[in-house]
Amino acid sequence: MAAFSGTVKETDRFEEYLDRAACEVFRTMMGVECAPAEDGFEGERENISAVIGLAGQMSGSLVLHSGRRAALRMTELLTGMAPEGLDATVRDAAGEVCNMVAGAWKGFDAVLCAGCLLSTPTVVAGSSYELFSQRAPVRIERSYRFEDLSFMMTIFCEPSS
Amino acid sequence: MIAGITVLIVDDSSVMRKIVERALRQAGLNLTKVVEAGSGREGLTALERERVDLIVSDINMPNMDGLEFLRQIRAQRLGGSAPVVMITTESGEEHVREALAAGAQGYIRKPFTPDQVRDRVLPLLVPA
Repeated sequence: MAAFSGTVKETDRFEEYLDRAACEVFRTMMGVECAPAEDGFEGERENISAVIGLAGQMSGSLVLHSGRRAALRMTELLTGMAPEGLDATVRDAAGEVCNMVAGAWKGFDAVLCAGCLLSTPTVVAGSSYELFSQRAPVRIERSYRFEDLSFMMTIFCEPSS
Repeated sequence: MIAGITVLIVDDSSVMRKIVERALRQAGLNLTKVVEAGSGREGLTALERERVDLIVSDINMPNMDGLEFLRQIRAQRLGGSAPVVMITTESGEEHVREALAAGAQGYIRKPFTPDQVRDRVLPLLVPA
């Protein structure tokens, strides 16, 4: 059975899974509520992106994109210590949050759960960069808010054959 | 409170190693020593020099993943009788079966609550 054929119905289902996964990770690991943000994601001068590769029943990537303030706060909530800048700990934390959201997201779907593997995270941080996924024809983008901060999750994927 | 536990935490994320340590303390373990390793390979090296009471390992890691680490522990008879608990984002039944077949005594899916850590780890440390 194919994991994903790219229909609107399936895309909606994966969006719902993404919302549930993000909320579960923030509630369980950081003790804060996180909800979809209708007003979108507010980037900052300094941003950070964590990328998890998907392979197997679905190929593509899942990306967490956050501004500096949200990334620092996520790290503080996870570790109990307030970082001063986008240092190695913040990059590590962003990668772990993305990894946990990706794991929870695919865990909601029986086919993906059994047949889609996750890579270790790759993290990019800085003031001027863009991420491209040239091959993936399907893009699912969701913004979220926790406390007064926002971040964005994007799934780039190819329908499986 | 269970006293005097030395734990080996194997995870390529230093943030996750700290989170696991905190969760173990919240679960009621009195950790006298925490040994950290960033990969399965580092975990094996640590076990060659340290006596531990509990091993907690991620699965998805570079430089020897958690399952190979587990197989090597069993093959090289490292770690004594210390129970091994895998903590990972991989939640599929196949992954759980594979970990248990390789010799893990417990499996915790990330994200996890301190209660889940307590429920899975404590029974492994209390003599029957």
